Amino acid sequence: MSDLYLSRIRSWFMSSPPAEWALNRLRSTLIGALSQGPIPQHVAFEMDGNRRYARSHKIETIEGHHLGFEALARVLEVCYKCGVKVVTVYAFSLENFHRPKYEVDGLMQLAKLKLEQLIQHGELLDRYGARVKVLGRLDLIPPDVLEVVERAAATTKNNTDCVLNICFPYTSREEMTTAIRTTVREYSTTPRPHSTPFSQSRITQKILSKQAGKPDPLEPIRESPSPTPSSTQSDDQDDAVSTATTLHSDSTAVKSGGDEETVAIYPNAETITPETIDSHMYTAGCPPLDIFVRTSGVERLSDFMLWQCHQNTDIFFLKCFWPEFDLWSFLPVLVEWQWRQKQKARDERPRRRVKEA
Amino acid sequence: MPFASELEAYRRDERLGHKLMTPEERLRLIRPYLPSPPSRSRSRSRTEKGTSKTQNEQKARLGVRRFLRRQYHVLVFTLIHVFFSLYIRIRQAYHAVANRIHLVYYHHHRTPELIRRDVKGLRRLPKHLSVILTLEDQRRSGAGLEKLINEVTNVAAWCASAGIPQLSIYEKTGILKGYLKDTHQAISQEMHAYFGPNHPTVSLGAPHIPPLESDALFDGRDHHGSGSSSDEDEEPRKHISIVLISAEDGRDSMVDLTKTLAEMSQRKKLNPADITPELVDAELTESVMSEPDLLILFSPHVELAGYPPWQIRLTEIFHVRDNQGVGYQVFYKGLRNFAEAQMRKGR
Repeated sequence: MSDLYLSRIRSWFMSSPPAEWALNRLRSTLIGALSQGPIPQHVAFEMDGNRRYARSHKIETIEGHHLGFEALARVLEVCYKCGVKVVTVYAFSLENFHRPKYEVDGLMQLAKLKLEQLIQHGELLDRYGARVKVLGRLDLIPPDVLEVVERAAATTKNNTDCVLNICFPYTSREEMTTAIRTTVREYSTTPRPHSTPFSQSRITQKILSKQAGKPDPLEPIRESPSPTPSSTQSDDQDDAVSTATTLHSDSTAVKSGGDEETVAIYPNAETITPETIDSHMYTAGCPPLDIFVRTSGVERLSDFMLWQCHQNTDIFFLKCFWPEFDLWSFLPVLVEWQWRQKQKARDERPRRRVKEA
Repeated sequence: MPFASELEAYRRDERLGHKLMTPEERLRLIRPYLPSPPSRSRSRSRTEKGTSKTQNEQKARLGVRRFLRRQYHVLVFTLIHVFFSLYIRIRQAYHAVANRIHLVYYHHHRTPELIRRDVKGLRRLPKHLSVILTLEDQRRSGAGLEKLINEVTNVAAWCASAGIPQLSIYEKTGILKGYLKDTHQAISQEMHAYFGPNHPTVSLGAPHIPPLESDALFDGRDHHGSGSSSDEDEEPRKHISIVLISAEDGRDSMVDLTKTLAEMSQRKKLNPADITPELVDAELTESVMSEPDLLILFSPHVELAGYPPWQIRLTEIFHVRDNQGVGYQVFYKGLRNFAEAQMRKGR
């Protein structure tokens, strides 16, 4: 009972004007102070725990999601005022479609409502210079919500200061698959042939006539294949055939440039790099992910930003539920990250000195 | 952070589906919290616009004010970091001591029975465990390599004792792949030390490298005359398969897959629309490894350092804060934590 009174008194005190004013001053001071140090360029939040928060506070699930949205607004304010360039949030997973229908519908309506308001207050995002992008399987969004989503993206597309990525029906595996698929598509469409004044057939003929006495120059090429290491292992029989045919089609493309103009010359698949795939991710163009935050104490990535978390991302698993997330939970994360950055810089320096010596 | 009265107004409005307030009213509600218009948004001082001063006043004293504010912020920043350094040093020291105590408390004394007893009470065990190890001291690779192999053998022996059938060991540089045979021998010896002559068989492999089986190696060892471990026993031997993975099995393997798919598509053997997560998953599982159930990090904080991105989707990631070095207590805590965690999968 006394606990209840205490919390009443505390909340009464905290909501009294002077206390609130002081708190707000403190907040802005802290934000201003933090932005003096190194600032992460890209932060991702996995907003987990809305439902468990609702359950533990005995309120409706959808109410929990609404509180979660408020937390998101608070966090975005902190991030953008600190100078974070890109914030990516996991709003809705493809797996979430398995949830009860009323909850899915509720979430969709929530998203629609908030985005509609966002458009209404176009000025709000303009002040931050923020651009809204929705990442994921847009084709799975109900049409009425999709229309709002597209409007929101269109109205903010001229803002360049910072980006808010909302992963809407998203899973990271789906994203990676899509990236692979688009890369494959890109590499299997023929670029438009350049119209040059030089005739390919004439050149080939000249070369052929010069090499008339020599043996077939294509033979050695066939002996030095460079198949990808993965392909040789995975399905060897099929690939044994396929590598042979690749080389063959390559060689025919070289040889028969003259007599068969229709031979498609594709970009060489060997030039695909991680960066190529990176550029087909939904997050293409965003700086590398610096901080990944997941709330509610679950220590998994759960199909979010798998590709992006890969190298130098600091991953933080926090115990609090998402609706409770605020500057006070984010502050330690940010300070610890800054501290590690400094530590890293310190570690690099002596090594460089050794190298120079 | 809005004032409570305003928050109340916002929530009342929201509950009624945002029909209570007009857009103008809402805008008035949020205006004080907005940063300055974009024209001056480059300055750091934009964070300080929470107050109700008029624009004119601010313009007049902007220079001095901004300077002072900046100094103030730098001061606060320094203070925060001084205190944080202090805090983190204390935290690290505390964790180091706690770790030591746990290390002694949970010591396994190289007896599988003790480890089995530890594990017995757990509700479930991972079928596929993954660990990240780091090669220290890259310049003089001899000492670092020895330490790394030592760690690998330890983890392998713990897994075998706990009854985990599959283990994958991630090490960024992939140096171990070049010493597959030595590593296998070291693991077998460690198993021998733990279990005696009837020790579990080990198959050690890496993606694209055929696994080394225990028996094959024993033949080799018999030639050297060092061991007589080819005894057939009544009890079926346990088996543990270990896969060594490195940074090239992460993003690069996905790039290789893309190359293969692109070549197939160029030769019209594949329609790009047929590339589904299931296909990619099957290929990567086949050629690299399946999705681990639990990933144990021995580093002081969570950083994946190039770990295969595709496979880590639902993997439970465990680390002990400020931990240094590979210790059994971390391994055991990881297993315990895994047993307690529950899967929800977005539902």
